[in-house]
Amino acid sequence: MSLATVTQFRVPSDAAPASLPDAVDAANDHELMIAVRAGEVRKLGDLFERHHRPLYGFFVRLTNQPSVSEDLVQIVFYRILKYRHTYRDEGKFSAWIYHLARKVAADHFRKHARTPTPADPADFHDEPDHAAAPDSQAGTSDDLALMRRALARLPEDHREVLVLSRLQHLNHQEIAKLLDCSVGAVKVRAHRALKELREVYFKIRKEQAA
Amino acid sequence: MNCQRVQDNFIDYQDGTLPPDESATLRAHLASCPTCQREWSALQEMTRKLDALPAVEEPSPRLREQFYAMLETHQQEADSVSPFALARSRLDRFFAALLPSTPPLQFAGAVAVLALGLFAGARFLQTPVPTPVPTATTAASKADAERLAKLEQELADQKTLMNDMGSLVAASLLQQKSTSERLQTVLATMDLKSPDRRVLTDLVGALALDPSVNVRLSAVEALAQHADEEVVRQGLLASLPRESSPLVQVAMIELLTSVRETAAAPLFEQLSRDEAADKTVRDSARRGLAVLRTPSPTDTLNNNNPSNPNVS
Repeated sequence: MSLATVTQFRVPSDAAPASLPDAVDAANDHELMIAVRAGEVRKLGDLFERHHRPLYGFFVRLTNQPSVSEDLVQIVFYRILKYRHTYRDEGKFSAWIYHLARKVAADHFRKHARTPTPADPADFHDEPDHAAAPDSQAGTSDDLALMRRALARLPEDHREVLVLSRLQHLNHQEIAKLLDCSVGAVKVRAHRALKELREVYFKIRKEQAA
Repeated sequence: MNCQRVQDNFIDYQDGTLPPDESATLRAHLASCPTCQREWSALQEMTRKLDALPAVEEPSPRLREQFYAMLETHQQEADSVSPFALARSRLDRFFAALLPSTPPLQFAGAVAVLALGLFAGARFLQTPVPTPVPTATTAASKADAERLAKLEQELADQKTLMNDMGSLVAASLLQQKSTSERLQTVLATMDLKSPDRRVLTDLVGALALDPSVNVRLSAVEALAQHADEEVVRQGLLASLPRESSPLVQVAMIELLTSVRETAAAPLFEQLSRDEAADKTVRDSARRGLAVLRTPSPTDTLNNNNPSNPNVS
């Protein structure tokens, strides 16, 4: 690997904004939520259509349990309804929904502290996809499975910061606000999480090779 | 440059948020430091692998169904307002309609109420007896008049009660209190035009038993106006032999003489001969005896007539 490829290769962090609502959508979100707060409860349907997939992704990445994640998404929207009066005029809806999601996830992990996060690929419901993968992508597919298992073995706080930054595409400022810490602290945690992920990843690969 | 500090900047460099000069320093360090090179490429590799993770599959239709079922129940709850909340909102609207809504009007209203209160207070607190107002033929003023009549009646009752009480208190005061107070009470009885039996009895009692000479003397004086009463004469006769003060003795003898109490003659005789008695007392008794023995022209008609003893 030449130095040039090492130093110039960049992974753009804002590569996939698909799950991130843009500024217009954010304003729209806010208006919708104000309407919901005022009693037009049905307008929450629009917010659900817009946000339930990224939210579901967040929970699946954190828990590795698709059906549990569906329940958690439902709980988040239930809490939005229940606590809609606490939504503040200046609040950003996406920040608020992640704030609620983190609490729901924390409640879930506290309740199920005894049951470890399933890390085996066999636990995943997308396992059939794995078998159906073309031969040419077999290596990559193995790699992805390995990566999922490594991610699942990380401590919750490290897994959370990686999911939020790399998979949910929140920027460091947003994460800092969510985690109620400084931007610098988020970066330090993200860096440590990546290092740890790598260690776990190679450890698992070694175990599999053995 | 310190390797640790370089690696601390990796995340920012990766995000492209590291300032250009620091990025240049970092690149220069990377070019010369194999350790940091390995670290950097490892970080890049893991990031790439993470980003390469396929998007999570779609949630099952169950999620959407459950969500919309929940939404519907909440919408129904929001639509069907509880009767309590409805009543309260109606009540709120009622009061909101009654009261001014803008702060200036609210302030004006408060000032008006305060002014009204001050006016009413000044008007009705300073004139407890309501003077007949031209517009006073209302029910309220009638009620006031009735209340006033009742009050006056009560006041009159109180006054008569006070009179009775006054003599009672005066009488009872004789038995206790200080000398000056007893004296005052005795003097007060002189103002009574027609004292009842009780007051006279108390005065006689004071004459017989009061330790103060002044009080006994005053009692004699007070009893002088009522000397035609049998009680008073009996009292005087009973008190005289026990009296120790010459002053009071003389006063009693003179009183008995003036009313021509013939029953006092033996007492006078006894006193006039008493060697232990004061000379003025003996003289007074002898004089009185002389008066009593001289029959007055009116004696046959009215024994009680307090005529002038010098008439003879």
